[in-house]
Amino acid sequence: MASGRDVRDMLGLPVSGEVQKTVVQKRPKLAAPARRIQGVAREVAALYGERPPPVAVYEEKKSYRAKRQNTGPAKRWVQQPFTNQARTDGLVLKHWRRKPAPQPTNSEDTTMEDGENKEPYIENSSEFLKYNIQLDMPTFTDEEYDAHLRSDDWSREETDHLFQMIKDYSYRWAIIWDRYDYRPSNNNTLTVQEPAQDGDSSHALASLPFPPPKTRTVEDMKARFYEISAKLMKLRIPEVEMDADQYARYDMLTKFDPLLERNRKSLASALMNRSMDEVKEEEFLLAELQRINMAANRLDAERAELRARLEAPIPNQQVAAGLQSFTSSQALQALFQQLFQQDRNNKKRASGTGPARLSLSANDIIGTPTSAGHSLMSAANRRQSMAQPPPPTPIRTLAPQEEYRFNVSTHDRLTSGVSFGSDKLLKMRQAKSNVQTQKIAAALQQLGISDIIAIPTSRVGEVFEQLVGKVGKLLDVRKVREKEEGECRVLEAMKAKRDGVEGAGHAERNGGENGEQSVLQDSREGHEEEDEDVDADADEDADGEPDADGEADDDADGEADEDAEGEDEDAEGEDESGVPSRRGTSEAVSTRAMSNAGHKRSASVLSQASSKSSKRVRK
Amino acid sequence: MNIPNASTAPSTGEYAGDEISAIVLDPGYSTTRAGFAGEDVPKSVCPSFYGQVDSDGGPRLLFGENAIHNPLGNLHIKNPWGSDGIVEDWETATKVWEYTVTSRLTGTKPGDPAKNGLNESNGDAMEVDIEGLENLEKPLADSPLLMTEPGWNPTKAREKCIEIAMEEWGTPAFFLHKTGVLAAFASGKASGIIIDVGASHTSVTPVLDGMVLKKGVQKSPLAGNFVSNQIRLIFKQNDIPLTPHYMVSSKTQVDAGAPAQAAYKTFDIPPSDSFRRHEEERVLTEFKESVVEVWPGPGRFSNGTNEEIAKAQPGRPFEMPDGWNQVFGAERFKVAEALFDPGAALTDAESSRPKDEHCIPSLIQAALAHVDQDQRPLLLGNIVVTGGSTLLYKFTERLSYEVNAAYPSTRNKLIAPGPVVERKYAAWIGGSILASLGSFHQLWISKKEYEEHGVNIVEKRCR
Repeated sequence: MASGRDVRDMLGLPVSGEVQKTVVQKRPKLAAPARRIQGVAREVAALYGERPPPVAVYEEKKSYRAKRQNTGPAKRWVQQPFTNQARTDGLVLKHWRRKPAPQPTNSEDTTMEDGENKEPYIENSSEFLKYNIQLDMPTFTDEEYDAHLRSDDWSREETDHLFQMIKDYSYRWAIIWDRYDYRPSNNNTLTVQEPAQDGDSSHALASLPFPPPKTRTVEDMKARFYEISAKLMKLRIPEVEMDADQYARYDMLTKFDPLLERNRKSLASALMNRSMDEVKEEEFLLAELQRINMAANRLDAERAELRARLEAPIPNQQVAAGLQSFTSSQALQALFQQLFQQDRNNKKRASGTGPARLSLSANDIIGTPTSAGHSLMSAANRRQSMAQPPPPTPIRTLAPQEEYRFNVSTHDRLTSGVSFGSDKLLKMRQAKSNVQTQKIAAALQQLGISDIIAIPTSRVGEVFEQLVGKVGKLLDVRKVREKEEGECRVLEAMKAKRDGVEGAGHAERNGGENGEQSVLQDSREGHEEEDEDVDADADEDADGEPDADGEADDDADGEADEDAEGEDEDAEGEDESGVPSRRGTSEAVSTRAMSNAGHKRSASVLSQASSKSSKRVRK
Repeated sequence: MNIPNASTAPSTGEYAGDEISAIVLDPGYSTTRAGFAGEDVPKSVCPSFYGQVDSDGGPRLLFGENAIHNPLGNLHIKNPWGSDGIVEDWETATKVWEYTVTSRLTGTKPGDPAKNGLNESNGDAMEVDIEGLENLEKPLADSPLLMTEPGWNPTKAREKCIEIAMEEWGTPAFFLHKTGVLAAFASGKASGIIIDVGASHTSVTPVLDGMVLKKGVQKSPLAGNFVSNQIRLIFKQNDIPLTPHYMVSSKTQVDAGAPAQAAYKTFDIPPSDSFRRHEEERVLTEFKESVVEVWPGPGRFSNGTNEEIAKAQPGRPFEMPDGWNQVFGAERFKVAEALFDPGAALTDAESSRPKDEHCIPSLIQAALAHVDQDQRPLLLGNIVVTGGSTLLYKFTERLSYEVNAAYPSTRNKLIAPGPVVERKYAAWIGGSILASLGSFHQLWISKKEYEEHGVNIVEKRCR
């Protein structure tokens, strides 16, 4: 529908909304009467609102069980006699069957009487005939037996017995062997005796005056039967005429070797009769083998991956062109060698200064920070010492002078890693701002302290720190003094001006100069001083300061710093200005700085005219 | 109508079922089970013990559960079974079995339920008039009969069975099957090694494709009754009085181990000792059910610290009918231990130490040694456990341990059905399945065949 509307829209045709609306509205109307729900379900449905429920709701009357069909009156059952076709003796058994429907012509009561009086119908059941399976056995005649099948070991009688057993027990050799109890018909005395079961009893029977019946093993019986089967097979079908299946069977029958079978069984029984330990050992070995195989596979896979990576490096676009040459391990090795060589050269050159910087020397790679002092120790010794950690030494407290003498210091907490004394000293020279740093450097130079202190021991560091602290204080004090002096000068100048010409023209000059620029007025300006004086003050401060400061350059530097560094150094500037809080009483900042700092200082930005007028009014 | 599911019975076409109202009779030393083939539990379970009261007109025999527990004067309790697990007293055994079948299954055709008295209290129904029954038509004239026999049943006993069934009961068709095979069938196995620990005998029967491997059948007297005797010895050693229920008229609560304070009944003509012994057996059965536990392994109970571990476990209390009670600790493990470890048996002058080859692990090993090597792993994969005495607590755990210790390299699987009925009546259930199969129809020995060939047909057909 939407597409149709789109098409109409594109073609500029009038939208036939009415037709669609009726279609849309019709649908619920049609659906509503069909889905009318009653009872509680209706109220539940009302709770859903207009939207369909999130899960499908089936009405109650839809149940899964099919309704029972009424099939009329109860069916009659009768105990139906029957015979089984698999039986030859005509045994009549009874089972329950549906009574066959009465003949429609007869009335019901006559059939009942008939059923009771007449000779019962006997069903001839062939339902289970399929389970009566006859065995396919090779057969032979007396002539055939005499001609081909004679054996020294087996009499004709026993052979027949064997065949009968096989037929009875359907080739189940284990059962045939279990039940095999052939006794020659002449000595019936043995029938009382249990059939010999194992070596001991047969031995006992051997001492009896009459020959005991032979104990036949499964293999003996199988061998005899297979031999006869093969011979009969060959007699019935000559070898050349056998098809593939027949020949395969014939081949199998002729190749039966009782000795081999017996050996196989003894092996099988040995396997079964293993002791618990042997079984556990085998399990353990198998598990171990599996583990080794898995590890080997994993190792192989890892190696293959590594090899692939080394031999054919994947070009990586993201790596910079200069680094691309170092993606293989050979290249990295070369790079390391190069760096190592360089470092050694450097070290030779700067051998006098000690281990002032990180080096790539082999000793340092192995050595730990704590063992740096024992650089005399040979590498072998060190390895040994690493292998077996030294026994903990007892803590000994030293007298202060001893500590001093041996240069031992105790620390509450040690920062991790290595730091150099010279670095520490260098850090102390640096203040928060470049200007301050330069000032400190100038002060130190004045004191005659060189830039690089040759032996930066910890004690030297401590002294230096104190010195730098004092220098800092000195600078602070100096700065305060200069500020005060500057203020005094300004006030004196103001006083001089007030005494002289009063300033309307002065104000005009000021406005022309600044033009459209707005003026920041410090909040602390609330000293009850004259407003126009502030303006004048600002102007003077902006341009007049360098010459006013004269010999002391630092304040001018401070202003310049604020101007130059802009937003970065603004915080620092504030910090500096915060220390001497009185200083800012009449501070005015140039408009350039104001755009950055205006929001920090609670300032009221006014157009010059309005501010002036308002101030005038107030005044 | 209903959609078939796991719990609905399969249709007869699925399993070749065709029921012919055959009766399955599974006689045992303790109980005789009988019922119609195709049902899942035997409808009639009667004790094999019978009562004999010497009266003026010759001995009177009593059968049935109710009759033999009634303390009548001069009542002797006897059992037709011999000590070797073969029926000894055939005459009475026939009567016991007949009672089992006729009292619940066939009997006389009931008349109108309003008049025939079945709905009234049948207090004297237990005293069945055997003479009267014989005058009627033969009790099993309508039903083929499938009987069970132990695996070591001699030919003579088998022939006797078919003779009784055909001549005395007039059954139209008969078959005799070994309990071991039927128990395997009940678990759905055609092959397996069946360990049946009953009341009088423990037997181990290797079965292959539904046929018993006769050479491998092993039996031993270490079974339920042996455990009862062990309990008696424990009681004797600890001076624990054993009073059967019928002696006690009322009892009062006493502390554990304190002498009983009960009022005892007096009898003008007391029942015989055999009656008392039989009633004591009931108490012992209760004791076996609620207290006795088999040490579940690993190792024998006497090994290492096992006895200490057993002592640390909480005991089980038992109260005698006269109120005497005690908590039994480690000694509850001792009584059944001899089933697995003959050296642990309690002995006295009358009961000597059982032979080593009679314990269950030895029986299994002996049975397997007489089976063809190729079949042993198959049999060990289907070890069916059956018989009432296997319900001893933790019996199957111990058996599993022993089998796995003896045959560590094969996959040994114990099949011990959980429901008590299936464990106790496995052979009957297997017979019920077998006799309800349509394919079994051709195997029955019919009356005609019996008349033609005589009793030795049972040897030819039922093998």
